[in-house]
Amino acid sequence: MAITESTSMRGAKPSSSILNNETFRSIVFQFVTVVCIFGLGWYFVTNTIDNMAQRGMSAGFGFLNVSAGFGISFTLIPYREGDTYFRVFQVGIANTLLVAVISIVGATVIGLIVGLMRMSKNWLVRNIARWYIEILRNTPLLLQIIAWYFGVFNLLPRPRDSLDWGELFFLNNRGFYMPGPVPGEGFTVTLIALAIAIAGAVLLRRWARKRQEATGKYFPAVSVGLAVIVALPLTVFLLSGAPLAWDVPALQGFNYRGGLNVPPALCALVLALAIYTSCFIAEIVRSGVQSVSHGQTEAARALGVKPSWTMRLIILPQALRVIIPPLISQYLNVTKNSSLAIAIGFPDLVSVWMNTSLNQSGRAIPIVAMTMAFYCTVSLFVSLIMNVYNRRILLKER
Amino acid sequence: MSDSTTTTKTQPLIFQPKPERAAPPSTVGVIGWMRENLFSSVSNTLMTIVGAYIVYTFLSAVLGWAVFNAVWQAEDRRECLDLVGRSGACWPGVIQWFDNLIYGLYPKDQLWRINFGFLALILWVAPLWIKRVQSKVAIGITAVMLYPFLASYFFLGGEKGIIWTVLISAGLTGLIWVWLTTFTEIRSGKSFTRTMGEMLGASGKSEEEQLKFGRLSLIGVFAISMLLVSQWELSFVSTRQWGGLFLTLVISGIGITFSMPSGILLALGRRSTMPLIRLLCTGFIELFRSVPLITILFMFNTMLPLFLPVGVEVNQLLRAIVAVCLFAAAYMAEVIRGGLQAIPKGQYEAAAAMGLGYWQATALIIMPQALKIMIPTIVGNFIGLFKDTTLVSIIGLFDLLNMARSVGEDSRWLGLFIEPFFFITLIYFFFCFLMSQYSINLERKLEAGARR
Amino acid sequence: MLKKIVPVAATLAAALSYTTAASAQQTLQTVQDRGYLNCQVGLPTPGFYGLDADGVWSGMDVDVCRAVAAAIFDDPDAVEYQSVTSAVRFTSLANGESDMLSRTTTWTAVRDTQLGLNFTTINFYDGQGFLVPVDSGITSAMELDGATICVLTGTTTELNLADYFRANDMEFTPVTNENVNVLVETYLGGGCDAYTNDKSGLAARRSAFPTPDEHVILPETISKEPLGPVVRSDDSNWGDIVRWTLFGMIEAEELGVSSENVAEMLESDSPAIRRLLGVEGNIGEEMGLPADFMVSVLTHVGNYGEIYEANVGENTPIGIPRTGTQNDLWTRGGLIYAMPFR
Repeated sequence: MAITESTSMRGAKPSSSILNNETFRSIVFQFVTVVCIFGLGWYFVTNTIDNMAQRGMSAGFGFLNVSAGFGISFTLIPYREGDTYFRVFQVGIANTLLVAVISIVGATVIGLIVGLMRMSKNWLVRNIARWYIEILRNTPLLLQIIAWYFGVFNLLPRPRDSLDWGELFFLNNRGFYMPGPVPGEGFTVTLIALAIAIAGAVLLRRWARKRQEATGKYFPAVSVGLAVIVALPLTVFLLSGAPLAWDVPALQGFNYRGGLNVPPALCALVLALAIYTSCFIAEIVRSGVQSVSHGQTEAARALGVKPSWTMRLIILPQALRVIIPPLISQYLNVTKNSSLAIAIGFPDLVSVWMNTSLNQSGRAIPIVAMTMAFYCTVSLFVSLIMNVYNRRILLKER
Repeated sequence: MSDSTTTTKTQPLIFQPKPERAAPPSTVGVIGWMRENLFSSVSNTLMTIVGAYIVYTFLSAVLGWAVFNAVWQAEDRRECLDLVGRSGACWPGVIQWFDNLIYGLYPKDQLWRINFGFLALILWVAPLWIKRVQSKVAIGITAVMLYPFLASYFFLGGEKGIIWTVLISAGLTGLIWVWLTTFTEIRSGKSFTRTMGEMLGASGKSEEEQLKFGRLSLIGVFAISMLLVSQWELSFVSTRQWGGLFLTLVISGIGITFSMPSGILLALGRRSTMPLIRLLCTGFIELFRSVPLITILFMFNTMLPLFLPVGVEVNQLLRAIVAVCLFAAAYMAEVIRGGLQAIPKGQYEAAAAMGLGYWQATALIIMPQALKIMIPTIVGNFIGLFKDTTLVSIIGLFDLLNMARSVGEDSRWLGLFIEPFFFITLIYFFFCFLMSQYSINLERKLEAGARR
Repeated sequence: MLKKIVPVAATLAAALSYTTAASAQQTLQTVQDRGYLNCQVGLPTPGFYGLDADGVWSGMDVDVCRAVAAAIFDDPDAVEYQSVTSAVRFTSLANGESDMLSRTTTWTAVRDTQLGLNFTTINFYDGQGFLVPVDSGITSAMELDGATICVLTGTTTELNLADYFRANDMEFTPVTNENVNVLVETYLGGGCDAYTNDKSGLAARRSAFPTPDEHVILPETISKEPLGPVVRSDDSNWGDIVRWTLFGMIEAEELGVSSENVAEMLESDSPAIRRLLGVEGNIGEEMGLPADFMVSVLTHVGNYGEIYEANVGENTPIGIPRTGTQNDLWTRGGLIYAMPFR
């Protein structure tokens, strides 16, 4: 860095003592800091051991093999009441990831729409978007989740009076029921075909790009690729005799059974997360698009670029440079915010692990440590990808 | 017209524009505006109609429940239910609990102390918005450094030893000084110490000697406030009794205040050339940013007592505040780092060329620019922190959210919980909206200077 | 940086086989020096630890706190109530923040043996039941196969529910939350077919429903829920103080000593009463309390029957009848029984 160079040059004057030497000072400073931090750490560790010994608290991970003994309302992976605490941990992780993924997709779509509405020429639409953002962004998410749960999903009809669409989809206050696919024999062939199609599409795009760079000829790789991805598996599926059955939910006793069920807590959580985050994404999209100066559009037109291409080839790549980093941090926020599921009892990691399991087993230290380790892993993984991306798009300065 | 024809004879021909015709009625007034903004095309008209319908349904549902069908006077929830069932809100419960929602379980006869504490803060920072006041930086710094002592005595009260008395007096002195200097600066444009120096030091003395007298007068103010403070007795109110909006403001206020300096240090540390410092700062920032605030609060709540020697007790509120502060610092550090990254290299080089050292360059050249760029993000962060304080309810502090929940557990209002939640949502919205609007204003004001 | 230490600490601590150090700190001394008792209760719940608009705590479990404070300080208000969520109740007690815990906590083997805690005695016998709407036509818990059931999380209730359905080979879907109000709203909105909780809680909640008559508590009691105050296991004397304060209140009811007649009873000739009130013997002094600590407790708080009737009895909104139930004195066929006060 330029400043340190200049100061170190000043520090290197012959008359100065070793105390004024930049390198020496930096080494001493670092050494002292590290010693302090480790001293503090050691102090905490010894205290913790003393405290735990005195209070007879156990901290081991042995309880992970003990049967948990409570029911979980929604599990993505199979779970029974008799399963172990470790299984509960896995269930929590799976549920957290599920909520995060659905909410991220939802938030991006809604955020994009609201962001475009915010820039609309229609006064009413623009202001609806503005107040949508202002109201939702300025109230705590925790309250919004509760509002969705009680204001919407709890007011839906009871199972017997469900709203239904074609006897296939049902919506009531126990959740949203839909037919579940039951793959028959030979369905794997279709999946293989899908994988081949995707690989083919990727190769096609690569080839098209190379050809365009070399010859300037354009090939519609995206639309052709999409067509391949849809058509190939579909043909294989039909040729192999459509080996897929549907399990349609039906009213039995208290609830609908069979098919796939999305419980109201999950619906409320995902909706609240998606809508809350969409406000931030909308603003990110708006600032991204507005960050590209109007001159770019004009220059594109002057060069005779088609208007439909201007957005894709000129504006979007530049806007994305501004949009992507805050967007990813919003995605991380969604993952972290999914921990608020605890308020409406959706069994995500924090709710089922750091609350219920901790309460039932009393093992505070290992449970809190495992929870934090999970979130750290996710976040560090995403940060890693982000850093690679940032380096790629960094404006090259001198 | 006839007039102009006569003048042409004597005067040279001058271009006379025809008087402007009025705009066509369809483009002016309400109708014109509507045509322009709402019904300019078919799709636009469609969007307007759909939008209006959505707004209408939303407003009628919310207002119908919260205002038109609501019960405003009742003895208990049973009476509300008998009157309107669940179709309207039952506000008497919220009204009865209003004091608790705002002040928590603070003793009812001591509420004035909280009001005074916040009034003192408003008085302290009010001069920052007065144009003619010059020592704004000093006022800001004293507000951050000295106000907490004054406020903590207002809120906490109890026994005070010698050191504590001195600190509180310093706080009081600060407040008095802020207003004295504000008055003198409005009147004469000179700070309080300078004015006092001129008055006491007479005219013949040099400027430095006059300043000496000015400082003496400050010590005089300090002595007077010492006298006042030592006579002043407030009963002790345990932090367990703090709650409601008051607690929310205390936690977020401390978090926000702490996050700025520590965030700046962490951001500088992360960009430092010293590898170990960089590693430590990066590690801290990444760790605290990667886990949800709930887990941090949880961990501090359950583990901090274990980290400390046997027998040392840390107040629950303090644990929550420590957690919130560290969390906020990590977030702020990333925001400020973003600002630092946006500063062109030339600025660093120019600062170095001027002979400024690292700290001088950072404080005088780099940081002001970085902070200015990041104002919207910084305020956004503050808003986020303010909203995130709802999470302290999960570890059992009686913040706004937990207080609202307690309304529904009062045996008279058992089950009443949508209404208090609605009420506190309004409170949150009020504060957050205020902050975001202020940040937009500030941004515009600062941008005006940069515009060519 | 604290974060890094947690896993390290956990593994280190796990590596060391834990030993209960004998050098327990004297809780009583700490409390006396502090001048008030840190008593942990739950988030406000009427009847047991209710909070009113004036910020005053009251209830069955709160009265236990008040009794202990009266025993130590002769002042039932020398208590700081620590209201924390159930998730942190045991850690909060174990790490020394609370001196005792009095919050409808069920005495179980795991809690008593593995968490460094000791249960003292029982101040309320409860049992878990189900609340269902009348129009569902359900009359027995055995008809709940396939039902969606609202249950408070982090409680023994949650475990009992799972056990009961497993034992009877039935299926259920839980709807969990740690906020009773949320569960009740869900139940009233039809989000679950039944709401399960301790029967005392069910009765209290039902009384606050818009239409209480449309809901019925099923006859089955699916669990034993002995509720009582808890202390840390490192100080047996402190456990004795809590235990014998409560025993004293039960004994007082049995002997007919109440807050109204305690002054006259001081002159009683009955040796049992004289021992209870500290006129004879040195039970209080041996625990480090004043000899007449039970006089303070009875004057300020009352005997067991009095606190029952004042907080959860038939004349309160909770309205749990006592006669002939487990919570009646053993002399009247109940389970409330104090060890001999001698």
